[in-house]
Amino acid sequence: MRDDLRPALFGSALRDRLLTRLALSQNGLHVRELARQIDSSPTAVHRAVIALEHAGIVVSRLVGNSRVVVLNRRWYGAVELRALLERLAAAYPEIRERAAHYRERPRRIGKPL
Amino acid sequence: MLAAGASLIDVEFAVCSVLAQAGETAVLCGGSAAAFYVPTEYESLDVDFILHVGKARHTLDHALARVGYARVAEGFYEHPQLPFAIEFPIGPLAIGREEVTGWRTERRHHELLHVLTPTDVVRDRFLHYWAWKDETAFRAAVAVARAKPREVDLEAVRAWCEREMEADRTYDPEDVERLFAALDLTP
Repeated sequence: MRDDLRPALFGSALRDRLLTRLALSQNGLHVRELARQIDSSPTAVHRAVIALEHAGIVVSRLVGNSRVVVLNRRWYGAVELRALLERLAAAYPEIRERAAHYRERPRRIGKPL
Repeated sequence: MLAAGASLIDVEFAVCSVLAQAGETAVLCGGSAAAFYVPTEYESLDVDFILHVGKARHTLDHALARVGYARVAEGFYEHPQLPFAIEFPIGPLAIGREEVTGWRTERRHHELLHVLTPTDVVRDRFLHYWAWKDETAFRAAVAVARAKPREVDLEAVRAWCEREMEADRTYDPEDVERLFAALDLTP
């Protein structure tokens, strides 16, 4: 589906895609992986993350040597935002599909595929 | 104008006072509010204020310039001779899902400082731990609760924890038990 046919509730299709993908994540995503999952560039995603961080909606945390972006569960509207984004995911079936197939936790060494 | 050697509390009073003179109500929150109540146990170089009125940016710039602070990024101010940075996180003033509508106002000579109450500091620091597993925040919550036993309403903290868990079931109830165990109280 074309982005101009989707809601852009958060000001741009990129922000909608980014937030929708984060709502489908338990542990957050690295910027580069987030960009890959929503078909955008790391630079554009990085810029959007900074703006959303400033708004308090997302936070990025240092995990090991890299920065992971997650929805800010401390934000006062976090529960309602997540519920809205989970509904919004219906407009982004390709993101939902990728999220369903993306494994967030590392596999145990030697565990059969 | 704040000079080199000013303490964290000097900065907090000076900033809050110049903002009040500019018609802005700024409430000290986050780790800096914990440091205000337990300065010997918890240190902070970041001074977080939530603005209650939300004056134009140039009003803040002008007010903070009076005490030597200049804007270096959106909502972020630094002083050339002091290690303490002033930050204005986006409001509203809230702890978890609940807006904060009351705070304490301390006075010192001709200066004032609006700061979260000890109960709200305990809630705020515990929530930081609860959400992000930040042990420093947990220790700050416990330190404030122990330092201000008559001013921290633990029943209110407990009731609030239950409301948060009711709204967001991913919060771990064992963390609440840990908090009250650290305070030698049963949850």
